Amino acid sequence: MNPINPWIDADEVRRLAARLMRPVRNPAVNLSDAGFDEGFVGFTGERTASPAPPAPQPEALTPPALPVVVSTPPLPNPPSPSAARGPFLERIQRFRDWMAREFSATGVFILDREGAVIFDESDRGRLHFLARSLALASRRPGTSAANVHVKIGAGTTLEVIPVETAYGCLVLGAVVPDALPPAAVHAVMEALARIAAPPGGA
Amino acid sequence: MINIAVSSQKGGVGKTTLSINLAHAFARAGVRTLLVDADPQGSVGLSLTRQSRLLTGFYDYLEDPGISLDRLIVPTRLETFSLVASGQASDYEAGGGMGAHLARVRAFLRGVAARGFELCIIDTAAGLFGVTGDVIASSDAIMIPQQAEPLGIRSVPKLLEGLNRLRVMNPRLTVLGVCLTMVQNDLAESTEAAAALRELLPPEMVFQTQIPRDRLFVRASARGLPVGVLEDGAGAQVVFDALRAEIEAKLEPADATRGVHG
Repeated sequence: MNPINPWIDADEVRRLAARLMRPVRNPAVNLSDAGFDEGFVGFTGERTASPAPPAPQPEALTPPALPVVVSTPPLPNPPSPSAARGPFLERIQRFRDWMAREFSATGVFILDREGAVIFDESDRGRLHFLARSLALASRRPGTSAANVHVKIGAGTTLEVIPVETAYGCLVLGAVVPDALPPAAVHAVMEALARIAAPPGGA
Repeated sequence: MINIAVSSQKGGVGKTTLSINLAHAFARAGVRTLLVDADPQGSVGLSLTRQSRLLTGFYDYLEDPGISLDRLIVPTRLETFSLVASGQASDYEAGGGMGAHLARVRAFLRGVAARGFELCIIDTAAGLFGVTGDVIASSDAIMIPQQAEPLGIRSVPKLLEGLNRLRVMNPRLTVLGVCLTMVQNDLAESTEAAAALRELLPPEMVFQTQIPRDRLFVRASARGLPVGVLEDGAGAQVVFDALRAEIEAKLEPADATRGVHG
Protein backbone atom coordinates (compact mmCIF):
# COMPACT_ATOMS: atom_id res chain seq x y z
CA MET A 1 0.00 0.00 0.00
CA ASN A 2 1.24 3.46 -0.83
CA PRO A 3 1.78 5.10 2.58
CA ILE A 4 1.65 8.65 1.27
CA ASN A 5 -0.86 9.18 -1.46
CA PRO A 6 -4.02 8.66 0.60
CA TRP A 7 -2.94 11.62 2.72
CA ILE A 8 -2.08 14.16 0.10
CA ASP A 9 -3.28 15.64 -3.15
CA ALA A 10 -0.73 14.10 -5.51
CA ASP A 11 -1.70 16.29 -8.44
CA GLU A 12 -1.22 19.42 -6.39
CA VAL A 13 2.14 18.19 -5.13
CA ARG A 14 3.28 17.43 -8.67
CA ARG A 15 2.17 20.87 -9.81
CA LEU A 16 4.12 22.53 -6.97
CA ALA A 17 7.16 20.37 -7.69
CA ALA A 18 7.09 21.11 -11.41
CA ARG A 19 6.86 24.82 -10.68
CA LEU A 20 9.88 24.60 -8.40
CA MET A 21 11.99 22.81 -10.96
CA ARG A 22 11.14 25.24 -13.74
CA PRO A 23 13.89 27.79 -14.26
CA VAL A 24 12.87 31.40 -13.95
CA ARG A 25 13.29 33.04 -17.31
CA ASN A 26 13.93 36.66 -18.16
CA PRO A 27 13.52 38.11 -14.72
CA ALA A 28 12.34 41.67 -14.80
CA VAL A 29 14.70 42.88 -12.12
CA ASN A 30 18.34 42.58 -11.22
CA LEU A 31 18.45 39.13 -9.69
CA SER A 32 21.21 39.86 -7.27
CA ASP A 33 19.05 42.56 -5.77
CA ALA A 34 15.66 41.06 -6.30
CA GLY A 35 13.35 40.66 -3.40
CA PHE A 36 10.44 39.39 -5.44
CA ASP A 37 10.02 38.33 -9.06
CA GLU A 38 7.15 38.57 -11.49
CA GLY A 39 5.21 36.03 -9.51
CA PHE A 40 4.84 38.50 -6.69
CA VAL A 41 1.34 39.91 -6.72
CA GLY A 42 1.66 42.31 -3.85
CA PHE A 43 0.24 42.48 -0.39
CA THR A 44 -2.57 44.93 0.10
CA GLY A 45 -0.79 47.68 -1.75
CA GLU A 46 -1.56 49.26 -5.05
CA ARG A 47 0.10 51.76 -7.30
CA THR A 48 -1.12 55.21 -6.65
CA ALA A 49 1.20 57.62 -8.29
CA SER A 50 2.62 58.49 -11.62
CA PRO A 51 6.33 57.86 -12.24
CA ALA A 52 8.78 59.99 -10.34
CA PRO A 53 9.12 63.53 -11.65
CA PRO A 54 12.29 64.61 -13.42
CA ALA A 55 15.21 65.60 -11.22
CA PRO A 56 14.90 69.16 -10.00
CA GLN A 57 16.87 71.93 -11.67
CA PRO A 58 19.60 73.52 -9.60
CA GLU A 59 17.62 76.71 -9.17
CA ALA A 60 14.47 74.86 -8.26
CA LEU A 61 14.74 75.47 -4.57
CA THR A 62 11.32 76.97 -4.42
CA PRO A 63 8.42 74.63 -3.77
CA PRO A 64 7.38 72.79 -6.91
CA ALA A 65 4.03 73.51 -8.46
CA LEU A 66 1.80 70.77 -7.20
CA PRO A 67 -0.77 69.18 -9.48
CA VAL A 68 -4.29 70.42 -9.09
CA VAL A 69 -6.38 67.72 -7.54
CA VAL A 70 -10.12 67.94 -7.56
CA SER A 71 -12.12 66.57 -4.64
CA THR A 72 -9.16 65.70 -2.52
CA PRO A 73 -8.15 67.05 0.86
CA PRO A 74 -5.93 70.13 0.86
CA LEU A 75 -2.38 69.38 -0.05
CA PRO A 76 0.26 69.64 2.62
CA ASN A 77 2.66 72.52 2.58
CA PRO A 78 5.91 71.36 1.07
CA PRO A 79 9.05 71.92 3.09
CA SER A 80 10.32 75.45 2.90
CA PRO A 81 13.03 76.26 0.36
CA SER A 82 15.54 76.55 3.14
CA ALA A 83 14.98 72.87 3.88
CA ALA A 84 16.99 72.05 0.82
CA ARG A 85 20.07 73.84 2.10
CA GLY A 86 22.53 72.96 4.81
CA PRO A 87 24.22 69.67 5.69
CA PHE A 88 22.53 66.63 4.27
CA LEU A 89 21.55 65.09 7.59
CA GLU A 90 19.95 68.31 8.76
CA ARG A 91 18.01 68.53 5.51
CA ILE A 92 16.82 64.97 5.90
CA GLN A 93 15.78 65.65 9.47
CA ARG A 94 13.78 68.65 8.36
CA PHE A 95 12.21 66.45 5.70
CA ARG A 96 11.39 63.89 8.39
CA ASP A 97 9.78 66.62 10.51
CA TRP A 98 7.75 67.73 7.52
CA MET A 99 6.58 64.17 6.91
CA ALA A 100 5.56 63.85 10.54
CA ARG A 101 3.75 67.16 10.52
CA GLU A 102 1.91 66.77 7.25
CA PHE A 103 1.27 63.05 7.07
CA SER A 104 1.51 61.95 10.70
CA ALA A 105 4.43 59.74 9.71
CA THR A 106 5.69 57.97 12.82
CA GLY A 107 8.70 56.40 11.20
CA VAL A 108 10.76 57.46 8.23
CA PHE A 109 13.73 55.74 6.68
CA ILE A 110 15.66 56.14 3.45
CA LEU A 111 17.65 53.43 1.70
CA ASP A 112 19.99 53.79 -1.21
CA ARG A 113 19.81 51.65 -4.33
CA GLU A 114 22.06 49.03 -2.74
CA GLY A 115 19.74 48.76 0.22
CA ALA A 116 22.12 50.54 2.58
CA VAL A 117 20.45 52.69 5.20
CA ILE A 118 20.99 56.39 4.63
CA PHE A 119 18.65 57.55 7.33
CA ASP A 120 16.47 55.72 9.78
CA GLU A 121 14.58 57.10 12.70
CA SER A 122 11.78 54.60 12.32
CA ASP A 123 13.19 52.04 14.76
CA ARG A 124 11.72 49.49 12.38
CA GLY A 125 14.74 47.90 10.75
CA ARG A 126 12.70 44.84 9.86
CA LEU A 127 10.81 46.95 7.35
CA HIS A 128 13.89 47.79 5.30
CA PHE A 129 13.89 44.55 3.35
CA LEU A 130 10.17 44.74 2.76
CA ALA A 131 10.43 48.32 1.52
CA ARG A 132 13.28 47.61 -0.83
CA SER A 133 11.64 44.47 -2.16
CA LEU A 134 8.42 46.33 -2.80
CA ALA A 135 10.31 49.08 -4.57
CA LEU A 136 12.09 46.56 -6.77
CA ALA A 137 8.90 44.68 -7.47
CA SER A 138 7.17 47.87 -8.55
CA ARG A 139 9.77 48.47 -11.22
CA ARG A 140 9.05 47.22 -14.71
CA PRO A 141 11.37 47.36 -17.71
CA GLY A 142 11.48 50.80 -19.22
CA THR A 143 9.57 52.47 -16.42
CA SER A 144 10.40 54.19 -13.19
CA ALA A 145 9.55 52.49 -9.96
CA ALA A 146 6.18 53.52 -8.59
CA ASN A 147 5.09 53.90 -5.02
CA VAL A 148 3.54 51.00 -3.17
CA HIS A 149 1.87 50.77 0.19
CA VAL A 150 1.16 47.86 2.42
CA LYS A 151 -0.85 47.65 5.60
CA ILE A 152 1.47 46.51 8.37
CA GLY A 153 -0.84 46.74 11.34
CA ALA A 154 -4.04 48.19 12.70
CA GLY A 155 -3.96 51.83 11.66
CA THR A 156 -0.44 51.67 10.27
CA THR A 157 0.61 51.50 6.65
CA LEU A 158 4.08 51.36 5.19
CA GLU A 159 4.28 53.73 2.27
CA VAL A 160 7.22 52.96 -0.01
CA ILE A 161 8.19 55.66 -2.45
CA PRO A 162 11.14 55.21 -4.81
CA VAL A 163 12.54 58.58 -5.78
CA GLU A 164 15.01 59.30 -8.55
CA THR A 165 17.59 61.73 -7.25
CA ALA A 166 20.92 63.09 -8.31
CA TYR A 167 22.45 60.21 -6.32
CA GLY A 168 20.36 57.51 -7.98
CA CYS A 169 17.16 55.93 -6.85
CA LEU A 170 16.47 56.31 -3.14
CA VAL A 171 13.75 54.31 -1.44
CA LEU A 172 11.74 56.23 1.11
CA GLY A 173 9.81 54.21 3.66
CA ALA A 174 7.30 55.94 5.88
CA VAL A 175 4.96 54.49 8.46
CA VAL A 176 1.74 56.43 8.13
CA PRO A 177 -1.81 55.94 9.39
CA ASP A 178 -3.24 55.50 5.89
CA ALA A 179 -1.94 55.19 2.36
CA LEU A 180 -1.02 58.57 0.91
CA PRO A 181 -3.14 59.94 -1.92
CA PRO A 182 -1.42 60.33 -5.31
CA ALA A 183 -0.93 64.08 -5.02
CA ALA A 184 0.69 63.71 -1.63
CA VAL A 185 2.99 61.01 -2.98
CA HIS A 186 3.95 63.35 -5.78
CA ALA A 187 4.70 66.10 -3.30
CA VAL A 188 6.85 63.76 -1.21
CA MET A 189 8.75 62.65 -4.30
CA GLU A 190 9.52 66.20 -5.30
CA ALA A 191 10.46 67.20 -1.79
CA LEU A 192 12.87 64.30 -1.31
CA ALA A 193 14.42 64.79 -4.74
CA ARG A 194 15.03 68.43 -3.87
CA ILE A 195 16.36 67.62 -0.41
CA ALA A 196 18.75 65.04 -1.86
CA ALA A 197 20.06 67.35 -4.57
CA PRO A 198 23.70 68.33 -4.09
CA PRO A 199 24.21 71.81 -2.66
CA GLY A 200 24.35 74.33 -5.45
CA GLY A 201 22.49 71.97 -7.72
CA ALA A 202 25.59 70.31 -9.13
CA MET B 1 31.31 30.55 -5.37
CA ILE B 2 28.20 28.44 -4.97
CA ASN B 3 26.30 28.42 -1.73
CA ILE B 4 23.90 25.66 -0.89
CA ALA B 5 21.34 25.81 1.91
CA VAL B 6 20.53 22.45 3.47
CA SER B 7 17.04 22.97 4.82
CA SER B 8 13.94 21.08 5.76
CA GLN B 9 10.48 21.81 6.99
CA LYS B 10 10.87 19.30 9.77
CA GLY B 11 13.64 18.81 12.33
CA GLY B 12 15.47 15.57 13.02
CA VAL B 13 15.71 14.47 9.41
CA GLY B 14 19.47 14.09 9.29
CA LYS B 15 20.21 17.57 8.04
CA THR B 16 23.37 18.05 10.04
CA THR B 17 24.76 14.62 9.22
CA LEU B 18 24.14 15.30 5.56
CA SER B 19 25.73 18.77 5.72
CA ILE B 20 28.88 17.65 7.53
CA ASN B 21 29.55 14.66 5.36
CA LEU B 22 28.65 16.31 2.10
CA ALA B 23 30.92 19.27 2.88
CA HIS B 24 33.68 16.84 3.73
CA ALA B 25 33.14 14.97 0.46
CA PHE B 26 33.53 18.19 -1.54
CA ALA B 27 36.58 19.22 0.47
CA ARG B 28 38.20 15.81 -0.08
CA ALA B 29 37.66 16.33 -3.80
CA GLY B 30 39.72 19.51 -3.59
CA VAL B 31 36.89 22.04 -3.50
CA ARG B 32 37.57 24.83 -1.01
CA THR B 33 34.56 24.32 1.21
CA LEU B 34 33.10 26.24 4.14
CA LEU B 35 30.49 24.53 6.28
CA VAL B 36 28.32 27.00 8.17
CA ASP B 37 26.22 26.07 11.14
CA ALA B 38 23.16 28.30 10.87
CA ASP B 39 21.19 26.25 13.34
CA PRO B 40 21.00 27.93 16.76
CA GLN B 41 21.16 24.47 18.30
CA GLY B 42 24.67 24.39 16.92
CA SER B 43 24.65 20.78 15.86
CA VAL B 44 27.50 21.07 13.38
CA GLY B 45 29.65 22.78 15.93
CA LEU B 46 28.75 20.25 18.56
CA SER B 47 29.58 17.46 16.20
CA LEU B 48 32.89 18.70 14.97
CA THR B 49 34.48 20.94 17.53
CA ARG B 50 34.43 20.26 21.23
CA GLN B 51 34.75 23.94 22.09
CA SER B 52 32.10 25.06 19.65
CA ARG B 53 30.16 26.91 22.32
CA LEU B 54 33.17 29.10 22.92
CA LEU B 55 33.57 30.05 19.28
CA THR B 56 32.27 33.24 17.80
CA GLY B 57 29.89 32.15 15.09
CA PHE B 58 27.29 32.86 12.49
CA TYR B 59 24.64 34.29 14.80
CA ASP B 60 27.15 36.54 16.51
CA TYR B 61 28.06 37.88 13.08
CA LEU B 62 24.40 38.57 12.32
CA GLU B 63 23.95 40.45 15.56
CA ASP B 64 27.15 42.45 15.65
CA PRO B 65 28.31 44.35 12.57
CA GLY B 66 31.67 44.86 14.26
CA ILE B 67 32.60 41.20 14.03
CA SER B 68 34.94 40.32 11.19
CA LEU B 69 34.28 37.19 9.18
CA ASP B 70 37.89 36.16 9.71
CA ARG B 71 37.15 35.65 13.40
CA LEU B 72 34.52 33.06 12.57
CA ILE B 73 36.34 30.73 10.20
CA VAL B 74 37.80 27.68 11.90
CA PRO B 75 40.25 25.65 9.82
CA THR B 76 40.37 21.87 10.04
CA ARG B 77 43.11 19.35 9.45
CA LEU B 78 41.90 19.11 5.87
CA GLU B 79 43.25 22.22 4.19
CA THR B 80 40.23 22.66 1.93
CA PHE B 81 37.68 22.29 4.72
CA SER B 82 36.74 25.07 7.15
CA LEU B 83 33.86 25.63 9.54
CA VAL B 84 31.83 28.46 10.97
CA ALA B 85 30.13 27.54 14.23
CA SER B 86 26.69 28.68 15.25
CA GLY B 87 28.17 30.94 17.91
CA GLN B 88 27.52 32.28 21.33
CA ALA B 89 24.10 33.58 20.53
CA SER B 90 22.60 30.26 21.47
CA ASP B 91 19.40 31.82 22.71
CA TYR B 92 18.97 33.64 19.48
CA GLU B 93 15.43 33.85 18.26
CA ALA B 94 15.48 31.91 15.01
CA GLY B 95 11.85 32.46 14.20
CA GLY B 96 10.01 35.63 13.40
CA GLY B 97 9.65 37.58 10.25
CA MET B 98 11.88 37.21 7.28
CA GLY B 99 14.17 39.88 5.99
CA ALA B 100 15.48 41.17 9.30
CA HIS B 101 18.92 39.70 8.64
CA LEU B 102 18.93 39.47 4.89
CA ALA B 103 21.50 42.19 4.30
CA ARG B 104 23.82 40.72 6.92
CA VAL B 105 23.46 37.19 5.56
CA ARG B 106 24.32 38.44 2.10
CA ALA B 107 27.30 40.37 3.46
CA PHE B 108 28.45 37.15 5.10
CA LEU B 109 28.22 35.25 1.81
CA ARG B 110 30.03 37.99 -0.08
CA GLY B 111 32.78 37.83 2.51
CA VAL B 112 33.03 34.05 2.17
CA ALA B 113 33.36 34.34 -1.60
CA ALA B 114 35.98 37.07 -1.24
CA ARG B 115 38.08 34.72 0.88
CA GLY B 116 38.40 32.27 -1.96
CA PHE B 117 35.93 29.60 -0.92
CA GLU B 118 34.39 27.77 -3.85
CA LEU B 119 31.52 26.20 -1.98
CA CYS B 120 29.59 27.23 1.10
CA ILE B 121 27.21 24.71 2.62
CA ILE B 122 24.83 26.15 5.18
CA ASP B 123 23.13 23.85 7.66
CA THR B 124 20.01 25.78 8.59
CA ALA B 125 17.51 25.48 11.39
CA ALA B 126 14.36 23.53 10.60
CA GLY B 127 11.51 25.50 9.04
CA LEU B 128 11.52 27.98 6.21
CA PHE B 129 11.14 31.20 8.16
CA GLY B 130 13.24 33.70 10.09
CA VAL B 131 16.99 33.51 9.57
CA THR B 132 16.55 30.25 7.64
CA GLY B 133 14.30 32.09 5.21
CA ASP B 134 16.92 34.81 4.86
CA VAL B 135 19.60 32.21 4.15
CA ILE B 136 17.46 30.50 1.51
CA ALA B 137 16.57 33.87 0.00
CA SER B 138 20.31 34.49 -0.38
CA SER B 139 21.36 31.06 -1.62
CA ASP B 140 22.18 29.78 -5.06
CA ALA B 141 20.72 26.38 -4.36
CA ILE B 142 18.86 24.36 -1.79
CA MET B 143 18.79 20.69 -1.00
CA ILE B 144 16.19 19.12 1.19
CA PRO B 145 16.90 16.10 3.38
CA GLN B 146 13.77 14.07 3.92
CA GLN B 147 13.56 11.18 6.34
CA ALA B 148 12.25 8.03 4.68
CA GLU B 149 9.24 7.52 6.87
CA PRO B 150 5.55 8.08 6.08
CA LEU B 151 4.78 10.85 8.56
CA GLY B 152 7.72 12.96 7.48
CA ILE B 153 6.96 12.55 3.82
CA ARG B 154 3.40 13.71 4.35
CA SER B 155 4.89 17.12 5.15
CA VAL B 156 6.20 17.40 1.59
CA PRO B 157 3.26 19.45 0.24
CA LYS B 158 3.83 22.09 2.92
CA LEU B 159 7.53 22.10 2.14
CA LEU B 160 6.89 22.61 -1.57
CA GLU B 161 4.46 25.44 -0.88
CA GLY B 162 7.03 27.13 1.33
CA LEU B 163 9.77 26.73 -1.23
CA ASN B 164 7.59 28.15 -3.97
CA ARG B 165 6.99 31.20 -1.82
CA LEU B 166 10.70 31.59 -1.15
CA ARG B 167 11.51 31.15 -4.81
CA VAL B 168 9.35 34.15 -5.59
CA MET B 169 11.66 36.10 -3.31
CA ASN B 170 14.80 34.50 -4.74
CA PRO B 171 14.17 33.59 -8.38
CA ARG B 172 17.74 32.42 -8.91
CA LEU B 173 17.33 29.66 -6.33
CA THR B 174 18.06 26.27 -7.85
CA VAL B 175 16.20 23.44 -6.16
CA LEU B 176 18.70 20.61 -6.21
CA GLY B 177 16.10 18.25 -4.87
CA VAL B 178 15.06 16.05 -2.01
CA CYS B 179 17.56 13.63 -0.53
CA LEU B 180 16.10 10.64 1.27
CA THR B 181 17.80 10.11 4.61
CA MET B 182 17.74 7.51 7.37
CA VAL B 183 16.60 4.92 4.89
CA GLN B 184 16.20 1.52 6.53
CA ASN B 185 16.35 -1.14 3.89
CA ASP B 186 15.32 -3.79 6.38
CA LEU B 187 12.12 -1.95 7.30
CA ALA B 188 9.23 -2.16 4.86
CA GLU B 189 7.64 1.12 6.01
CA SER B 190 10.87 2.97 5.31
CA THR B 191 11.47 1.55 1.83
CA GLU B 192 7.79 1.94 0.92
CA ALA B 193 7.83 5.56 1.99
CA ALA B 194 10.96 6.17 -0.07
CA ALA B 195 9.40 4.49 -3.12
CA ALA B 196 6.18 6.46 -2.70
CA LEU B 197 8.06 9.74 -2.60
CA ARG B 198 9.93 8.82 -5.79
CA GLU B 199 6.64 8.01 -7.45
CA LEU B 200 5.11 11.26 -6.32
CA LEU B 201 7.81 13.76 -7.28
CA PRO B 202 9.48 14.31 -10.66
CA PRO B 203 12.58 12.10 -10.96
CA GLU B 204 14.89 15.09 -11.26
CA MET B 205 13.63 16.35 -7.91
CA VAL B 206 14.73 13.33 -5.90
CA PHE B 207 18.40 12.42 -5.59
CA GLN B 208 19.23 8.93 -6.73
CA THR B 209 21.60 8.63 -3.82
CA GLN B 210 19.94 8.02 -0.49
CA ILE B 211 21.48 8.08 2.95
CA PRO B 212 21.04 4.93 4.97
CA ARG B 213 20.44 4.88 8.70
CA ASP B 214 23.80 3.75 9.99
CA ARG B 215 25.39 3.46 13.41
CA LEU B 216 28.60 4.81 11.86
CA PHE B 217 27.09 8.28 11.86
CA VAL B 218 26.56 8.16 15.60
CA ARG B 219 30.10 6.95 16.14
CA ALA B 220 31.53 9.62 13.85
CA SER B 221 29.59 12.34 15.61
CA ALA B 222 30.77 11.12 19.01
CA ARG B 223 34.38 11.40 17.88
CA GLY B 224 33.88 14.78 16.24
CA LEU B 225 34.60 13.52 12.75
CA PRO B 226 32.91 13.20 9.38
CA VAL B 227 32.04 9.57 8.83
CA GLY B 228 34.45 9.26 5.92
CA VAL B 229 37.51 9.58 8.14
CA LEU B 230 36.58 6.67 10.41
CA GLU B 231 38.71 3.61 9.85
CA ASP B 232 35.63 1.68 8.68
CA GLY B 233 33.91 4.69 7.14
CA ALA B 234 34.93 4.15 3.52
CA GLY B 235 31.59 2.60 2.63
CA ALA B 236 29.68 5.55 4.03
CA GLN B 237 32.02 7.96 2.28
CA VAL B 238 31.11 6.37 -1.06
CA VAL B 239 27.51 7.40 -0.47
CA PHE B 240 28.44 11.03 0.00
CA ASP B 241 30.84 10.98 -2.93
CA ALA B 242 27.94 9.80 -5.08
CA LEU B 243 25.78 12.58 -3.71
CA ARG B 244 28.52 15.08 -4.47
CA ALA B 245 28.71 13.86 -8.07
CA GLU B 246 24.94 14.25 -8.44
CA ILE B 247 25.08 17.79 -7.10
CA GLU B 248 27.92 18.72 -9.41
CA ALA B 249 25.92 17.45 -12.37
CA LYS B 250 22.87 19.41 -11.28
CA LEU B 251 24.88 22.58 -10.74
CA GLU B 252 26.68 22.38 -14.05
CA PRO B 253 24.05 24.22 -16.11
CA ALA B 254 23.68 26.86 -13.43
CA ASP B 255 27.45 27.26 -13.24
CA ALA B 256 27.59 27.86 -16.96
CA THR B 257 25.33 30.86 -16.59
CA ARG B 258 27.05 32.15 -13.47
CA GLY B 259 30.58 31.47 -14.63
CA VAL B 260 31.64 30.27 -11.22
CA HIS B 261 32.57 27.24 -9.24
CA GLY B 262 35.81 25.40 -9.03
